[in-house]
Amino acid sequence: MTWIDFPLYSGIIGIVWLLGLVFLFLSYKDVNKLKYALPILFLGWCVLIVFVGKLWMELDRPPMRTLGETRLWYATFLPFVGFVTFFRWRYKWFLAYSILLATVFLMINYLNPETYSKTLMPALQSPWFVPHVLVYLFSYAVLAASSIVAIKGIYDFYQESFSLETMKLADNLVYIGFAFLTLGLLFGAIWAKEAWGHYWTWDPKEIWAFLTWMGYLTYIHYRHFHSHKTKQSLTILALAFVVLLVCWFGVNYLPVAQTSVHNYTQQ
Amino acid sequence: MTEMFSQNNKRDFWEHPWGYMESFFIGTGLLLTGFLIEMFIPSSEEFLISYPYNVVFLGGYIILLFVAYIWFSNVQLIRWLTKVPASISSIVLVTFMVMIMGVVPQIPSSNETITFLGLNHITTHWAFLFMLFLFLTCLGLVTVKRILQFSWSNFGFIVSHLGLFIALVAGILGSGDLQRLSLNVYEGRPSFVAYNDDNHEVELPFAVYLNDFIIEEYNPKLALVDNISGDIAQNNGKNLYLVEKDETYYFQNYEVYLKDYLSDAGKHGEKYFFVNEVGSPPAALVSVRNVDTDSIIEGWISSGSFRSPFEALKISEDYSLVMTIPEPKKFSSNINILTKEGERINTILEVNESFEYKGWDMYQLSYDEKMGKWSDLSVVELVRDPWLPVIYSGIFMMIIGAINMFWLGNKINKED
Ligand code: HEM
Repeated sequence: MTWIDFPLYSGIIGIVWLLGLVFLFLSYKDVNKLKYALPILFLGWCVLIVFVGKLWMELDRPPMRTLGETRLWYATFLPFVGFVTFFRWRYKWFLAYSILLATVFLMINYLNPETYSKTLMPALQSPWFVPHVLVYLFSYAVLAASSIVAIKGIYDFYQESFSLETMKLADNLVYIGFAFLTLGLLFGAIWAKEAWGHYWTWDPKEIWAFLTWMGYLTYIHYRHFHSHKTKQSLTILALAFVVLLVCWFGVNYLPVAQTSVHNYTQQ
Repeated sequence: MTEMFSQNNKRDFWEHPWGYMESFFIGTGLLLTGFLIEMFIPSSEEFLISYPYNVVFLGGYIILLFVAYIWFSNVQLIRWLTKVPASISSIVLVTFMVMIMGVVPQIPSSNETITFLGLNHITTHWAFLFMLFLFLTCLGLVTVKRILQFSWSNFGFIVSHLGLFIALVAGILGSGDLQRLSLNVYEGRPSFVAYNDDNHEVELPFAVYLNDFIIEEYNPKLALVDNISGDIAQNNGKNLYLVEKDETYYFQNYEVYLKDYLSDAGKHGEKYFFVNEVGSPPAALVSVRNVDTDSIIEGWISSGSFRSPFEALKISEDYSLVMTIPEPKKFSSNINILTKEGERINTILEVNESFEYKGWDMYQLSYDEKMGKWSDLSVVELVRDPWLPVIYSGIFMMIIGAINMFWLGNKINKED
């Protein structure tokens, strides 16, 4: 089993990425360091790709069946999204964020080796599973970041140190995150249709994902047409975050949880 | 409808153009009207209209939107509907209704307030339908507006708004034409009588013959149970270990070694042997060492099946080892579709892999779970959804819109 090699590979990737991140942080002081940071981070990513490729060949099936394998895919896609976003928007911190998140996934896999052989119910064994979950995960991460920016903005308001840059950052994050959230909802609908014949069943998790979507939709429209009412916009953004948190963590505690199909707790 | 609210005390309240106050006033008024209607004429049925009425309705609605925008855009109501305050209030009010759905379980309730207000069937609630109608009308009018003023810089706007409009409207109107049947097919005989959601028989224009129903299972899992309560006493029942030959697992101070594993076993005397019979459960020989006292207990465990009882191994006063029923990894049906013309089409249905025949999508739904892998029943779901291409084109436009949005970002910040 190639998983045996995982500690070795993940160790190498971890060290390479750490080095890359150090250069990335240094580049805030000295822009020249960026030309080291990017290739180093890219190198770490290539090592990861080699590992995934080898695993795929060894298993004779796409390694997407178990939870550990799924996390491996998150770890592979996140840096990709980070790179694309970086080349488009030049957010260094965002690249760092995606690399760190990918590292967390590798770490979880390293710490939970027994989860590799865990069973996965047939309904989840779909080519849509990975894009659906991946896109959601990414969008939640970006939207969460945008709302944190909003909370900082509101705080700055009271400190009277508010700057329009905060607004720009929040807007860009919302647009990126919202685009991905839309994709997540749509992939979910297509998957559900292909697998079960329903687009949408108003399952609690779907309801809250929809509410999150509507929350950020309100922000986008309000912000676009009342660009001077920054404080109101920031409040909407902060409220949207509350809905996002319910969707992310809270759904399981609501009275509706009993009727959800998104509860994959086994046994 | 606006006259309803015309008695207000602030002079500037209804001054043109209407802003947020007016928008929320109208929106909430409509919402309350919905609630009132719901209290006196509860809507128990789903809002369904089928062909050809839905097509007529759709055509009429779209023509009305165009007419309203082209000839009546100087009417205050229409102008208001194309503006952001109306849209935002409708978005917020739809969100409000959906939020109720997200908190109150949508199942029959014993709580009188919930039943009286109809909070447990929001999708068929009058107030929800009114809000949705307001929402779609705002969306539709603004889309018409931008389509008539087409320019390439509006491309992203049009694909996302039009896509959403198409997907929602086609989804709502199309549900009246959606047919969903479930068909029980037994090995060795053709079936052609399916049941719809209301349990009425529907005869299909073809028959389905089940050649073979196949289940692949995961190995069973090993669990430590409490002798008194019978509950699983480890990890809250999550992340149990898979039973595999020659594996060693640790539970508290017990070292469990799996000496042997048989996927199909029959008991003979005290031991299990490999057999190949219907209903033969998996069994494993385990050797359990108490690490503290070094004492060893050895014995067989089996998850049992509909034919044989399960077998646990008591390892102390408090605990026993048991084996769980294997979970399905994959299940599929090898079927033949037999047509009236005498044609015979062979295919395999699997979860997540449907098959399309003459406008019917066939899905592998379930099987006789008590029989597990020996089930000779396979439940096939048949769905006919003539609006699918329309809905998919809406979804596709929204996907383009989302990618466009990611790539171009927002205008506000680029302008300054
Ligand atoms: C797919 C989801 C949606 C996205 C991504 C989206 C995005 C946008 C964006 C970016 C704008 C500004 C465009 C520009 O000025 O060029 C806008 C305008 C607007 N949107 Fe949306 N929107 C969505 C859904 C909706 C919905 C559901 C409604 C109404 C219920 C709506 C109503 C409006 C209105 C009224 C405008 C102003 C248009 C105008 O004044 O010409 N949008 N939308």
